Amino acid sequence: MIDYAVSTLTLGIIWCIFTYAVNTTWGWTGLLDLAPFLYIAVGAYVYSVIVGPPPNGGPSVHWILGLQLPFVFGLLGAIVAAGICGLILGGIALRRLRDDYFSITTVVATLTVYAVIAQFVPLFNGYTGVYGVPQPLVKELNLSASAYQVFFLGLCAAVLLIVYIFMERIFKSPYGRLLRAVREDETAAAAFGRNIYRVKLQAYVIGAVVAGLGGALLAAFLQAFNPYAWNAAETFLIYAAIFVGGSGNNRGVLLGALFISVVVQELTRLFVVIPGHPDAAAALRYMIVGVLIIAVLWWRPQGLIPEPRDHDEAPPDPAGVTPPRPLETAPSDV
Amino acid sequence: MDDILLAIGFGLVTAAIIAVSTVALSLQYSVTNIPNFAHGELMTVGAYGALVAQRSTDNILLQALSAAIVGGAFAWAMNFFIIQPFARRRPRNLVLFILTLAVSLILQNAVLIVFGGSNIGFSVPASDAQQIGPFIFTGQDLLIMGSAVVIMVGVHLLLRTTKFGKAQRAISDSRELARVTGINADRIVQLTWLLDGLIAGFAGFALAASVGSLSPTIGNSFLLVIFAAAVVGGIGRIYGAMAGALLIGLAMEVSALYLPADYKVAVAFALLILTLLIRPGGLFTTNRVVAR
Repeated sequence: MIDYAVSTLTLGIIWCIFTYAVNTTWGWTGLLDLAPFLYIAVGAYVYSVIVGPPPNGGPSVHWILGLQLPFVFGLLGAIVAAGICGLILGGIALRRLRDDYFSITTVVATLTVYAVIAQFVPLFNGYTGVYGVPQPLVKELNLSASAYQVFFLGLCAAVLLIVYIFMERIFKSPYGRLLRAVREDETAAAAFGRNIYRVKLQAYVIGAVVAGLGGALLAAFLQAFNPYAWNAAETFLIYAAIFVGGSGNNRGVLLGALFISVVVQELTRLFVVIPGHPDAAAALRYMIVGVLIIAVLWWRPQGLIPEPRDHDEAPPDPAGVTPPRPLETAPSDV
Repeated sequence: MDDILLAIGFGLVTAAIIAVSTVALSLQYSVTNIPNFAHGELMTVGAYGALVAQRSTDNILLQALSAAIVGGAFAWAMNFFIIQPFARRRPRNLVLFILTLAVSLILQNAVLIVFGGSNIGFSVPASDAQQIGPFIFTGQDLLIMGSAVVIMVGVHLLLRTTKFGKAQRAISDSRELARVTGINADRIVQLTWLLDGLIAGFAGFALAASVGSLSPTIGNSFLLVIFAAAVVGGIGRIYGAMAGALLIGLAMEVSALYLPADYKVAVAFALLILTLLIRPGGLFTTNRVVAR
């Protein structure tokens, strides 16, 4: 039971990191990025092949590298690889596309990369995926299995703390205000001499890097990674976490991610069992998430913990619901 | 050479199904300005509607009709109960987009719960294969292509000759201006969703008949291919949608000759991304309104 609680909480913490990634792009900058799982997967794969062993399961098992380096290098590699992917995709998709076209492009890019990774076996072993990834410091510490789980939980919590502090600093900095200004009124921000494209791209790459870091931890937790681990519907769970918790708010994100990953995901797994219908419980969970998204956007679009107000501005509305604007109003201050 | 002709033959059938669905999506997207990610689920519920009808009747026409009605009912309800109340609050457009994502998640999993996750066989009685020019089509293929042409012509006539079509085009250009001239925009939008659902439901039926089985993800797996066709053809352009569907359908089937079949969709996506980068207004248009 304790083992179960520890592993649930570990996964919850990793979900918090994913949610921070999406909060940077959607919550602050207003980019509806539907590719977070692309970066999570890139981070997970790169971590696996840097930390993990070379393939040795027979002639049909292939993946690149297999360097068996310490886990810190795995984390760094995951961050760099995810950042580069974000730079490429964001650099292309943000340049001239309207926001809904941008979202479509990100989905399509994710599915294309998915198809390539699943089909092109020499890269990451196709559908079977990369496995046998050692856990960080497991040999050095020499702990019992459940004690190691607790250590790993602590490790993830430490990474989450770093991400949290980083996000708080961004939020409170002039740069954070710039991101929100771009979200609220692009034209006004451009009129103040900001390069909108660059700001968006920076935010997008930050999101990709954080997602890649989370992906690396996920691979370390699962000790394996394959295309089945990234289902398109998982992206909704991240967005549901943001909407419930309060987009734009760092503490809200924490609350939402834990709520979705622990309460919705795990409690329903325990209590909602439909006999003779193995798929039904998972399907019901996704339905609950869908209803939750709609309900929250209707009744509490700002989330449980709304984004803190910037001084004397009109309250920004995190889900993007803005009241109709009178024609004569000047663009708000940025 | 024979392989290529065969692939082109398949491509034409695929293109016909994509074209029907794309016309519906493209029309709805241009009138409401919402990329509807639940469009695939409208096809899915339509296909399951036909499946239910098949249990009590062998008449293909009734099956197709029930697919269309189920799709239309879901689309109508989706706008009436969810999209429209939100739209009245004037949120950012992306919020409406997210709503369609949520609806897609709900519908897909509802179908999964009701009908189960496994593939269910679905076949329509078909006459023998016939040779037309260099291609060989089954009766089913011919039926699908024939009905696609009928729907295209119907939508074209609707848009060009009726007041409803005129109002749709007006709203597509500017909803505010349309409202000022006395068009009941809410009603036209509501009817557009209904039309979208009717056609999408039928497309779901055609897809299930062509594939020979259906599963809860049947529509969703085609969603982005349809988006690709709509974008390649230019959103809101009926002929563009047809041309886009033809291009995407042929590209997918012909590419399968040279690449593993799983790359089929990747080919469609590559065309989508290239179009967005080079001519975001669509390959077959002259204006570039969608570019920023």
